[in-house]
Order: sequence, then C-alpha cells, then structure tokens
Amino acid sequence: MKTIALSIFLLLHLTLFANDAKYKEQMAKQIQIVYQAETIEELQPAVNALDRIASAEKTKWEPYYYSAFGSLMMATRSTEAAKKDGYLDAALAAIENGKKINANESELIALEGFVHMIRVTVDPAARGQQYSSLAFQTYNKALNLNPENPRALGLLAQMQFGTAQFFGASTDEPCATAKKALEKFDTFKSENSLAPVWGKSMTQGLLKNCK
Amino acid sequence: MKILAALILVSSCAFAQTKVSGVVKDTQGEAVIGANVMIKDSYDGTSSDAEGKFSFKTDEKGAHILVATFVGYKAYSNSISLDGKEVVMNIVLQEEANVLDGVTISAGSFTAGEEKRRTVLKPLDIAMTAGATADIAGALNTLPGTQKVGESGRLFVRGGDGNETRTFVDGMVVLDAYGAAAPNTPSRGRFMPFMFNGTSFSTGGYSAEYGQAISSALVLNSKDKAESNQTDIGILSVGADVAHTQVWKRSSLSGKIQYTDIRPYFGLINQRIDWITPPQALEGSAAYRTQVGKEGMLKLYGNFNRSSMQLYNHDILDPAKKQSYDLTNTYHYGNASYLQPLNENWNMRGGLSYTFNENAILLDGKPIGERESGTHTKVVTEYAANDNLEWRMGGEMIQRNYEAYQLNTTTQENQKLSFQEVITSGFTEAQVLVHTKFITKAGGRFEYNSLTNAVSVDPRLSVAYKPGKKGQFAFAYGMFRQSPKNQYVRLNHALQSEKAEHFILNYQVITDRKTFRVEAYYKQYNNLVKFVNGNANNLNNAGNGYARGVELFWRDSETIKNVDYWLSYSYLDTERDYINYPAAAVPTFASKHNFSVVYKHFISALKTQVGATYSYSSGRPYANPNNTEFNSDRTPDYHDLSVNLAYLPKPNLIIYFSCTNLLNNDNIFGYQYSDTQANDGLYKSRAIQQPANQFVFLGVFITFSKNKSVNQLPNL
Repeated sequence: MKTIALSIFLLLHLTLFANDAKYKEQMAKQIQIVYQAETIEELQPAVNALDRIASAEKTKWEPYYYSAFGSLMMATRSTEAAKKDGYLDAALAAIENGKKINANESELIALEGFVHMIRVTVDPAARGQQYSSLAFQTYNKALNLNPENPRALGLLAQMQFGTAQFFGASTDEPCATAKKALEKFDTFKSENSLAPVWGKSMTQGLLKNCK
Repeated sequence: MKILAALILVSSCAFAQTKVSGVVKDTQGEAVIGANVMIKDSYDGTSSDAEGKFSFKTDEKGAHILVATFVGYKAYSNSISLDGKEVVMNIVLQEEANVLDGVTISAGSFTAGEEKRRTVLKPLDIAMTAGATADIAGALNTLPGTQKVGESGRLFVRGGDGNETRTFVDGMVVLDAYGAAAPNTPSRGRFMPFMFNGTSFSTGGYSAEYGQAISSALVLNSKDKAESNQTDIGILSVGADVAHTQVWKRSSLSGKIQYTDIRPYFGLINQRIDWITPPQALEGSAAYRTQVGKEGMLKLYGNFNRSSMQLYNHDILDPAKKQSYDLTNTYHYGNASYLQPLNENWNMRGGLSYTFNENAILLDGKPIGERESGTHTKVVTEYAANDNLEWRMGGEMIQRNYEAYQLNTTTQENQKLSFQEVITSGFTEAQVLVHTKFITKAGGRFEYNSLTNAVSVDPRLSVAYKPGKKGQFAFAYGMFRQSPKNQYVRLNHALQSEKAEHFILNYQVITDRKTFRVEAYYKQYNNLVKFVNGNANNLNNAGNGYARGVELFWRDSETIKNVDYWLSYSYLDTERDYINYPAAAVPTFASKHNFSVVYKHFISALKTQVGATYSYSSGRPYANPNNTEFNSDRTPDYHDLSVNLAYLPKPNLIIYFSCTNLLNNDNIFGYQYSDTQANDGLYKSRAIQQPANQFVFLGVFITFSKNKSVNQLPNL
C-alpha cells in the first residue's frame, strides 16, 4: 500500500514537473520566435502555438502576453489598415484574457498601451486624440502597478517623443523619460524566468535622437 | 518499485499517438493560411500551411474538441474521438460577419463612427469640413441626397422639407433640433459634433425603430464614459466657451458653458438685416455617464439655451415702413438612456427624453408665440442568436403639448391654438445573414395616434448582396409617416399623418481608404396637407407628390498623401401638390442638381490642416405672382467656396480660422413679393439672401489636461 501511495505521489509530482518543464520549454521556443521573426508568415504559427499553450495552461498569463505581442508585431508588419485592426483586436483580446488571470500585471497593461499606440498609426488624423490619450493613460497605469517596469517607461518615452515631434515641441521630457527607462532596463530583475525582456534597443534607438 | 515503473510507463507511452490532419478553407473554397488548429485545452495542434493543409500528432485520448481559429473568421469547433486511428477533418471557416469584408445593410444610409473600420464619414470630418462651421447639418449637406437651402440651415433630403428629417440622440427623439434664427436666416443645430462618436445619417429606407420622420433620420450616438480629466477654453470672434471633464473610476461628468454675441462681429461686417440687437445666446450642456453593475451603462445629458435677437422688417413696397421683430427662444432638452446586457444573447435598453421649446415673439410690441413640450419614452429588447440572426422589438410613446398664442389687439384677449398628441408605437425587426454574401433586415412599425384615433402598420425591408470581395448591391423599401407641421395640426386636429413610401437601389465599393457609391431612389408622398380652395384655414390631407433621383459619392484618402477629398452629386426630380400649390409643382426648396467637393490637406511642416469646400446648386423655383405659371421661375445657380485652417503650434493649442463664400458670390435663395401690387400693376420683389455674403470666424482653443498632447481638434 505504501509503495502504491508513494508511487502515486511521485507520479503526480513527476507529471507536474514534466508539465512545467514542457511549458517552459515550449514557451521559450515561441518567445524566441516572436522576438526575432520578421514576417507575418513566421509570426502567425508562433502566435498560434502560444494560443494553444494558453488554452492548456489556465493559470498563466504569459502565453497570452506573448500571443498578444506576436499579434502586435503582425499589425506593425501588415500594410492594410483593416488587417492591422484585425491583428490589434486579436492582441487586445489576448491581453484581456491575460488580465482575467492577473489583472494587476504591469507588463500586460504596458502592452495594452502599446496596442493603443499602434492603433493611432492606422489613422492618425481620426484616431490621434482618442487613442494617444488612451495610450498615455494606460502606460501611466502600468507604471503605477510597477514603477520599475522599463517597458512601460520606454513606451511612454516613445509616445511622448512622437507627440513632441509632431508638434515640433521640445524633446527634453521624452528624452529624460527614455534615459530613466534605460536605467530601469539595466536594473530590472524578475523572478519570473519568462518575464518579458524586450524594449531596450528600442529605447536606445530613441535616445540616439536625443542630445 | 515495479508498480511505480509500470505507472510511469503507463503515463508516458501506454497509448499510441493519434494523427489529426486535414485542410482549412473559407466559404469561398480558398485555403486559409496560418489558421490555428488544435485540440481544445491542450498543447497539441498546428498551423495550416500555404495550401491550408494541417497535420499533427497528439497524445490525448478519447473524446475531445477540435478547434480552428483565424483572425477575421468565426471559431470552428467539432468533437472528435482520439483512439490511435488517423482523424481527417475538412474545416470550413466562416468569415466573421460585418467585420472587414462582410456584407452590411447600406441602402440609404451614411454611417460615421470611430470604431467602424470603413466608414464614409468620421466625427472629425464633421468638425473639419470647410463651410460647415462645425455644424452637423452643415457637414452632412456635403453628402449626396441633400439640397442646399441656404436660408434654412436644416437638412432637406430628397425632395423633402426640412421638418421631414428627424434627429435622434441615443435613440431618443429631439423635438426641435435647430436653434432659433431670424426669418430667412440659417439656423444651427443645437448639438455640437464633439458630443458624438457615432453618426448615422439615413436618407431613406431606415429601420423600423425610427418613426415620425418621412424623409430622413439623423441618429446621433453620444460618447461613452470620458477617459481623462481636462479643461477646455475657447476664445472666439463671436463669444467664448469653457468646458470641463471630470473622470472617476466608473463614471464621468462633462459640462460646457458657451456665450455667443454676434454684435462685435456685425459691427465690422455690413449686414443685409436691419438689426436692432443682433443675436446673443447663452447655452450650457452637461453629460454624465456611469457604469451600473458589471455591464450596465447609464447616460444622462441635458442642455439649456436662451437666445434673443431684435430686428426691423421692412415693407417691400415702401421700405421706409418697418415693423420690429423681437424673438426670445428658450430651450431645454434632457435625455436619459440606459443599456443593460442581460446575458450573452439578450440586451435591454431604454430611455426617456424631454424637450421644451418656446419662441416668444413681439411684433411691434404685440406678443405672439408658440410653446412646445414633449416626452419620449422607449424600451427595446434585443436578441442576438449569433452573427447570423439578430432580432429586436420595442415600444415607445411620444407625447407632445403644443400651444400657440397671440394677443388680439382689438379685444385685448389672448387667443390660443393648442393640441395634445400622444403617439404610441411598437416595432419589431429581424436581421438575418442568410449567407455570407446576403443579408436581409425586415420589420414593421405600428403606431396609434391619439389625436386622430388612427392606427397604422408600416413595413420596412432592406437587403444587401455582396457577390465578391468589394462591391455590394443593396435595396431598401419602407413606408414612413409623421404628423403634419404644428402650424397645421393646431388648426385641424383631425389631420392625418403625412406619408412617404421609399424605394432605394444602391451599389457601393468600399476599400480601405476609398469609397464609391451610387444610389437611385423613388419616393411617393401621400396625405400631404393641402389648403382647401387655397384657404389656409381650411386644411385636408389631399396633397401628394413624388421625388426620384440618382446620387453619386466618391471619397479617396489614399491616392495623394495627407490629402483626403470627397465628391457628391445629386440629381433630383420632384413635384408636389400640397399646401397652397394650385397644381403639382417643383417645391421652392428643391434644386435639380447639387454638387460638392470637400478637400482636406494636412501639411505636417506647417502643423496646419487646410480645408476647402466647393458647393454648387442649380436654380431653385420661386412663386412669382407676376407670372401666371406657379413656381416656374428659377433663382440663379448657387456657388460657394469656403475655406478653413487649423494651426496647431503646440499640442494643446489650436488656432482656427474659417471663411465661407471666399469668392463673395451674391447667392439668392428665392424672392419675397409684396402683398399688394405697386402702381404699375406688378408685385414688387425682394431677394432672400444670406445676412452677409461671407462669414469669417476666428477662434483660439486651449486645453489643459494631465497629458499635454490632448487638444480640442476633434471638438471644433
């Protein structure tokens, strides 16, 4: 009896461990693709795979996060406005699902702001006001949840910079934000091995326009 | 330990894997590339390849659900059994209706909204159309189906009079949607475009939900909860305004106060009107939005307006003879609407609106005026089974109290003419997506009018067919009715509703940033109010008429970078035999040809948006008592070139300039004639014209908010 109990106990542990390992391995593989893929054709299967992981792992927000990130990348690489909106809708839907699991995840909120920011680029004249104010607000919300989140700061800098540039205003404020973001990128640490790491080079790129 | 080993063995590889394969196609038989095919709640699955094919292996066993998804398509799911034998599935994904390339109900309507992917006109377009002076009706007058009636400012649609277009705010009726104006001067809409994020302008064949409008329905949907706190200040050449928005977690409150005084402006520009006191107005509005429970949304909106003006009317035969005209208008409007989703399929919405409008006039000191108040209550239930079937039904009641008064100078008695009308109605409508290419909406509207004791049932029908990816054909039919103008009902309470029957054929192609549409229609008017033997006090419903025409619309914001333009052309052939007309004749508000070009160009280097609108209307008929043939004379053609300019030196500062009729055309809308003949036996005429040929407007708008990028551009 003892042996059986032990073996069931061990088996459960082993399966859980095996599942966790499988999850981490699968995630790592797909995350790498969404970070590096250049085309919609490469991104779509990764987003699909992440959606599958999300459907199996009911308590994890990360698969939704990276699925949304992949959809967002597809939106930036698509040329047709209606398609862009379709990808952005998909990204937002994934973010909403992630928020159901962890409503206070700063990374998810920052990504939501990113979606609004890309939404502006689809039709700046008609959407500028509504979505840029929404993007600003969402970035600030992400920073309230975690002031150390370098991506939220980096994206905020991006948004401030675009606005300043559009109006020909001084870029002092966005540059200061970008500098602060870069510091945070260097100090940012997460216990979560699947935590997002992107955004540093984007901020460095932005800082090249400063001085 | 043996058992343990066995168990581990069992857990990992006791069952053979099952292969799942097949192909994913859309309803047109085209391969869907990159679709996500998976066993629900598992890791197992794959993406379809360039031919739509997929194949994967799974360790799962027993009954499972196979799911396939792709952006722009409805999710597919089907149960499968996994037992080691290969499962082959041929999956057909249905395109999501009304998204991207779906078929939509289109005949007769122009929709504008931020969220709709492909809309004809966006809210910003309404604000930034040159010549429209940020007036909703002004901007819609650049669309096909409308006639320019410069002395009115209202929407005259397809041979219909201005009162045949009805405005609805959040589904609730507005009794008098236009501000007061001196006789023969244009009035402005009472609602500022910035309040709305959706506008649907229907030139015919509209839904059974909208009644008491025989030509057109203008449906305005107000914005939801505001997102950020801000304060706006506007300093205008004709007044000033201040607005503030306060946002809470689940609600928001916005208020605006505006003072308009045209006196300084009229001091500078010569006017055709002999003003004693030019118009001045004080108006305020407030909007409150709050979420109720999890998904309910309550919207409250109210505005008040008090305006006054005084002028002299000069006699046509003897201009030295004059009569003073003093108008004070008081207006209140309140509207509450509530939306509550009941569950995934059912929605409830309802509302209540109240309008009070009083025009108090002093004619040479003699009081004469009219007062109208009304309430509208409405409850609607909506059911959406899925994208293929939507159904709604509702009930409403419009109750109006009207009173006109006049002081009889000989008896010193106050004479009154009044009526009370209650219209109780019900409507039902179903929208069925028969096929991804074919959609139909059919319904009916029942009305009971307490004044006439009349019961009516009016059918409505719309169908649309989209054979390919872009072009779409549509047809709409409907019967519409509305109570005659107050000035007639007050004399004869037994007057029946005026009726119009619409037949509309439409073809449109909408791509990402280009729109082309052509529409043809036929409209039959019946039961129009008619003066019996030309006697204005003896009225019946013997009038009738028709209108038919063809309209073209083209918009392109793609071809030239940073440039957006649209062209509209309307051809109208209409005649009516109504009111005092001796026989069927073209009504005075109808012009045969109407043409507009609207051009907008954003110049980034100058941080400036430049806009121009050119409008043309062929001559309008007018009744010349010196000519025996009624309404056979025509005014000269109408031309107007208007420009505007918005300069954004800072994110929160806008300097806005606009000028109408840049070329200073002497546009004539019609002629008024003297009541009696002059010595030469002829009636003398006077042209009806704009008070001044041009209107120049300059404004500075400043916004204060936490993030400095917000500005008032969408509000202008």
